[in-house]
Amino acid sequence: MALFVLFGLICPAKVFAQTDTAKKLKEVKISSGAVPQIQTATPSQSVTSADFTKYSAFTVADAIRNFAGVNIQDYGGIGGLQTVSVRSLGADNVSVFYNDVALNDTQNGEIDLSKFNLNNIAKITLYNAQPPDILQTAKAYASASVLSIETVRPQLTAQKPFKITAGIIGGSFGLVNPYLQWQQRISKYWSFIANGYDENANGRYKYKDVGDGADTAAIRRNTDVHTREADGELYWAKSDSNKFNLQFNYYNSNRGLPSAVIFGAAPTTQRLYNTDYIIQSGYKHIADNSFQLLINTKLSQSFERYTDTGGVYNSSGMIEENYKQREFYQSAAVAYKILPKWEVSYSSDFDISSLQSDVYDYAFPTRFSFFNVLATDLYLGKWRLQANVLNTYIDDKVKTGTAATSKSAYTPAFIATYHPTALPGLELRAYYKSTFRNPTFSEQYYYAISPRPLKPEYTSQYDLGAAYTKTTTGFLDYITLSADAYYNNIKNKIIYIPTRSPETPSVVNLGKVDIRGLDVVIKSQFKTFYNWKGILSANYTYQNALDITNPANSFYLEQIEYTPKNTLALNAGLTHQHFGIYYNEIFASHRYDESDNVPQYELPAYTVSDASAVYNFKLSSLPATASLEVNNLFNKNYTIIYAYPMPGRSFRLNFQITI
Amino acid sequence: MKQLKLNYLFIAALFATVLASCHKDKLVNNQPTPTAQRAGVYVLDQGVNGPNSALTYYDYTTKVLTPDIFSAVNGRGLGNTANDAEIYGSKMYIVVDKSGTVEVINAKTAKSIKSVPFQNLDQTSEEPRDIAFYNGNAFVTMYNGNVAVMDTTTFAVSKNIPVGNDPEQLVVANGKLYVANSGGLNYPDVDSTVSVINLASLTVTKTINVGADPYAISTDGNGHVFVTAYGVYPTSNSTLTVIDDASDAVTSKTDFTGGPFAYNGSTAYYIDFDFSVKAYNTKTLTAGTTNFITDGTTFTAAFAIAADPLTGEVFVTDAIDYTSNGLLYAFDKTGKKEYSLTTGINPGNIIFVNK
Repeated sequence: MALFVLFGLICPAKVFAQTDTAKKLKEVKISSGAVPQIQTATPSQSVTSADFTKYSAFTVADAIRNFAGVNIQDYGGIGGLQTVSVRSLGADNVSVFYNDVALNDTQNGEIDLSKFNLNNIAKITLYNAQPPDILQTAKAYASASVLSIETVRPQLTAQKPFKITAGIIGGSFGLVNPYLQWQQRISKYWSFIANGYDENANGRYKYKDVGDGADTAAIRRNTDVHTREADGELYWAKSDSNKFNLQFNYYNSNRGLPSAVIFGAAPTTQRLYNTDYIIQSGYKHIADNSFQLLINTKLSQSFERYTDTGGVYNSSGMIEENYKQREFYQSAAVAYKILPKWEVSYSSDFDISSLQSDVYDYAFPTRFSFFNVLATDLYLGKWRLQANVLNTYIDDKVKTGTAATSKSAYTPAFIATYHPTALPGLELRAYYKSTFRNPTFSEQYYYAISPRPLKPEYTSQYDLGAAYTKTTTGFLDYITLSADAYYNNIKNKIIYIPTRSPETPSVVNLGKVDIRGLDVVIKSQFKTFYNWKGILSANYTYQNALDITNPANSFYLEQIEYTPKNTLALNAGLTHQHFGIYYNEIFASHRYDESDNVPQYELPAYTVSDASAVYNFKLSSLPATASLEVNNLFNKNYTIIYAYPMPGRSFRLNFQITI
Repeated sequence: MKQLKLNYLFIAALFATVLASCHKDKLVNNQPTPTAQRAGVYVLDQGVNGPNSALTYYDYTTKVLTPDIFSAVNGRGLGNTANDAEIYGSKMYIVVDKSGTVEVINAKTAKSIKSVPFQNLDQTSEEPRDIAFYNGNAFVTMYNGNVAVMDTTTFAVSKNIPVGNDPEQLVVANGKLYVANSGGLNYPDVDSTVSVINLASLTVTKTINVGADPYAISTDGNGHVFVTAYGVYPTSNSTLTVIDDASDAVTSKTDFTGGPFAYNGSTAYYIDFDFSVKAYNTKTLTAGTTNFITDGTTFTAAFAIAADPLTGEVFVTDAIDYTSNGLLYAFDKTGKKEYSLTTGINPGNIIFVNK
């Protein structure tokens, strides 16, 4: 806090001195609009809807698995849970934003990325630390990294006031996924978009059960998925600086939860049912005097039902747990440019989340969360300097038992970028960020036979990197290269412990993790040659994530579980007019599925390849697209999570028509 | 390819390091024990989060530690949640709960003799939990509410004897079989009974009331059956019930903060809730008050205990954080640490094997 004030006091004088040079130093000129923007305040990586086919992606997790620093926990199959950990900080420290508003799961903390269908998604961006704009909700500052999902927005004219896209995806796993999108321009200022899809799959696939020494192929069962989603967004935009949106989202799914493969034993009979509703609205206004206002409001309800009906030896012969989460969220942010190159902002978020459940002796907690952020963004010659401090205040109330004590913390972030004059296209950057994660409802209250004295989990990140873009007149249109080295640590990592007595699991603050890593991202596009165009990108991740909890532990200074030291993702594409083919390959080095780095718990390295082909054509003068995607092209046996075998080669066909 | 080979080298090096470090551990405070009669000690590791149960073996003569001798010998894993293992004759029987199997192996070589399935028609597990033996038969508790009677030569199951809910441990005493009915899966509406089975008629002849949620049952071989029960927080405490195996009457039922018993004569060692090791006197029926461990050794999460009457040694496992490899500690009869070894995850049973 003190540093922040100091920063604010010292800076204005320098601003005056540097304003002139700042004006001359415009952004680097880039000839083609397709050049990826990599000179961001903190490292960020994004994919747009046009890229999804290049990565043979079916879910959000598939679309971002090539990103440097990203580690997807994939339980396999079409309905399998997928969570993302960024730079080894764990899935709980990534917050997922849906049209600029944080999705909330106070119960589990982690958002399952397999539930987002890509049909309605325009862009997915991963920001290390936080998004660069300081006019943000306060929650955008509150996590170690932000995965931002933006849906399609209507871009229509009075001449053609509507656009309807209909398509169907089908293929392996018995997948049938029809979808429909309707975009409509209502008036000069108003427009709406409506989406719906239905997804059904039996999810079955063959796998080789190498873990248990059997060499025969078995079939993965209890993998069926039945999902439907509908959403609608209403937009009002008087101008870019005065706009409003209202959106509604409905999601319903019913799926089997395949568990760990146990040799010779039956597939499990666990099922998960989800019904989620979200209503959210946003209003943004930029006044002539540079005063900016951003208001976001959200109401959400999610209902989750978990059942297990096979081989359960209690009096009812089954396990059923029901959870209902409700949330009200209000955010307001204001920003003001004190000087043309110096902007300050204040964001304040308030969130009430409650959870009702029928599990034994449940606490029925309601959590009141307040997030308040002061931020500053200053251009100072070749420098851009950002700083913010976030206060998080959390207070729980419970109906039964004992509520956790209220918690409050100040966590800062400092971000600096520098553009040297000598080398246009180069950016040097560094950031420090600290975050605070309160225990989730599950960690705090689930079967808490006695009150759990849990402390929040803290993360610290230090990043130093460079981003360079070069456009050429040679055989390359452009090449972009960024490399970021980082050091992270986690304190008071919250760990769930299954104890001897199944009804009394325990959760403790046990872990300390020390992470050193490197993210390298290279993207390039080749010059068009006889109508052929090539793209090539490579992402490399090095992660040395060591447990430093206790020197007495056998796994002290050993790599944390499920974290490969080396990951390499390659993507290549070739397009010819209306036709494109793409190849994707991911290599992950060996990992351990437990804390001890011993051969017993080693998961071997794997390389998995995907390929796709897309063809754009006219069908009775209507634009149409057909694509074929192949996952695991070479039919490799591999696992990401121990005892959860990944599927072999699978296919997806997509046909889409636009009216 | 080079990369791969380097990896293998690295793994080999790691393996060597693990072995070496254990070996080094062994040399510290090395004692002239154990006796020549024991070939070594097995530790059954339950595993966690999936099918990673293991059988760790430590050979007293060669001083070689095998992290999972079952998979090393048989080329496949034990499965999910191995909950009990006992040696009967020349064979060892390993009860694997979630896999629904009883693995029968050669007690000396760990070579698989038979994998006996205990599964329903749809291949879901009947959840075998614990095993005891009498007159050529093995008796296996099943979470489905039965005790299965299995012939130890043919491995055929001749009968399922219905008992209470979610039976846990069982023990043969005075020619009768005592079964702890936990009802733990109905928590908090647990059971609080012990079924007594007549071993001639193979029927339940009596049901004895004990503390809530009983899980451990054992005998001192001298007229007493001891039953420890979790209790249900906050309505009932954890308890110890003593049953007279002649009359099947309850001799005493007291609040008790300890786990299962490991016998050496009239001393029953147990792990107290504070992870100290205490000694219960089975003659006077009094719990210990002082820590058996005299050299200051402490445990992060003491998990299983065994006493070797041949040497007077007491073995204690430490599950550390219940998700990583544990430790096996050997103490001499005065409570001083002899050595410690790395086990698998959640080392829940310690079994001595003779030469």
